[in-house]
Amino acid sequence: MLNLIKRDVILQKRQLLLFIPFILVFILLGAPPVLIFLVASIFIPFNTYAYDEKVETNILLNSLPYTRTEIIASRYLGAIVYMILSIGVTSLALLAFNKHFTVSDIAIGSGLFLLFAALTFPLFQIFKQGYITTVILISFILLTWISRPIALYMNEHLTTIIDFVDNTSVTVLYTGATFFIMLIYIISWGITHSIYQRKVF
Amino acid sequence: MQIIISNSSKEPIYEQITNQIKSLILAGELQEGTAIPSMRNLAKDLQISVITTKRAYEELEKAGFIYSIVGKGSFVAEQNLEVIREKKLKVIEEQLSAVIANSREIGLSLDELKELLKILYEE
Amino acid sequence: MENVVELKNVTKRFKGFSVNHINLQVKRGFVTGFIGANGAGKSTTIKTMMNLLRPDAGEVKLFGLDYKTHEKEIKQRIGFVYDGNIFFEGLNLKDIKRIVAPAYKRWDDTIFYQYVEQFELPLNKAIKTFSKGMQMKASLAIALSHQAELIIMDEPTAGLDPIFRRELLDLLQELMVDGNRTIFFSTHITTDLDRIADYIAFIQKGELVFNQSIHDVAENYALVKGELNLLDRDTEKAFVHVHRASTGFEALTDNIKAAKNIFGDTVIIERASLEDIMYYFKGGIHHA
Repeated sequence: MLNLIKRDVILQKRQLLLFIPFILVFILLGAPPVLIFLVASIFIPFNTYAYDEKVETNILLNSLPYTRTEIIASRYLGAIVYMILSIGVTSLALLAFNKHFTVSDIAIGSGLFLLFAALTFPLFQIFKQGYITTVILISFILLTWISRPIALYMNEHLTTIIDFVDNTSVTVLYTGATFFIMLIYIISWGITHSIYQRKVF
Repeated sequence: MQIIISNSSKEPIYEQITNQIKSLILAGELQEGTAIPSMRNLAKDLQISVITTKRAYEELEKAGFIYSIVGKGSFVAEQNLEVIREKKLKVIEEQLSAVIANSREIGLSLDELKELLKILYEE
Repeated sequence: MENVVELKNVTKRFKGFSVNHINLQVKRGFVTGFIGANGAGKSTTIKTMMNLLRPDAGEVKLFGLDYKTHEKEIKQRIGFVYDGNIFFEGLNLKDIKRIVAPAYKRWDDTIFYQYVEQFELPLNKAIKTFSKGMQMKASLAIALSHQAELIIMDEPTAGLDPIFRRELLDLLQELMVDGNRTIFFSTHITTDLDRIADYIAFIQKGELVFNQSIHDVAENYALVKGELNLLDRDTEKAFVHVHRASTGFEALTDNIKAAKNIFGDTVIIERASLEDIMYYFKGGIHHA
């Protein structure tokens, strides 16, 4: 299974060369650290999906001595592994440019990434091959569309929320959020897994 | 071991192989105890399927021309050449009798038949 | 264990197409050629063997093992070659090897580079720049480098020139010298099989018509040619399909003895090629 995760590096040698300048551009533009962490985390896993949307790739992976369970697990675990690596590299880059960032920037950035991954990974399995870029775009739009009423709602009840946040300790808040994201991620994994088991290549 | 296969012959390929190996043995070119190529190697060299050489070897074994030892290969069996010659002669006699009967039916004389045989034999 | 592959009553339905009750055994140490027209179900059957799709009903066993419990063990022992490139197009052969090799316990770099040299394959050029023949050779080099016992190939010769087809057959024949290897390959170019196939499996409209040794095929099937007036409802029963022309009839029988008994010397009986057999079966099975 480690081989499946390592495969991404070989597959994306050239794209990885783009990785550093890509992040640097964001840093130099002065983008907020949260956004930089999010974009950096998305880079490798979603590039992999651009490859894996092809029927041929699935035929290859499934003809090699791997099980379908392993193939999906490698995607979900790989996303976390590459997220951690990307955050490491990005942190170093930020430090090198003397940009200030906090641990909560990392936490929120990775949290958002995991949520986004959890929502989009199953969609890749449902939609026909060749439409994945469209799927990403639509889910992005959908997310922003959903976030608007949520933001409105939050505005209306801002005081209550602030009160709630104030009353809850930071630890509880973070643990709660972590558990929530982990739960969503695991549910997403389960859904993708069961769809993938039934696929015909 | 020389074997020539014809793809256009009516005779099945496995029979071509058995007949040629038989004649090599009967002519004394393949001596008793000589190792013959494995059926898989022979198939490769003749560019034919393994099952064809397998069948040829099985027939040869059944007829007592060769024997196989697992893991070692196939060898030319001991031949009682006298007995085989005797048998062959008998077959030839029978076939010739049929030829003679047929010849008489259409009134072919002995000399004419001899002449015909001579032509065919030297062909 | 005689059978490397065993399909029992395998059924898979798609919209507008299905394979039904396939019973197929592939014998160890031999070459089985899998023939059938385009769309007859060859690829579906091969995908079932590779676990790329799961049948709706029936049993699939390779090396006597079940995919449900031994998927990895089974695939360790298979080398596969598909019609068309399945490797990442943008990568070169060296990188593809880097991705594929670690998956196999018995991968052997020496063998791989031997084939790369023998096939004259460039290691540093992207696969997408390869010709069809080179892509096939690359797949083959990968399929043969991990001591696979079973080589499964889906239309390996499609789109290849005659010279390379012969080279491929030579190579396969060399592989068969080692009696532990088994080859199963589908093709619609039946002449490929005349030379190397030991068994012929024939699929037609999603159903397996036969799976016999080439000797049995030759001893059962034949072309029968004769005058039209010999045909009637009874005599026609000896045939799979009859083709009528004003000059006489030509038909395929699957029982040479019966045909000889019925017609005797009044007809000509000739060897039927695999192509003849496929052609006449396409006309539909006449008798029950």
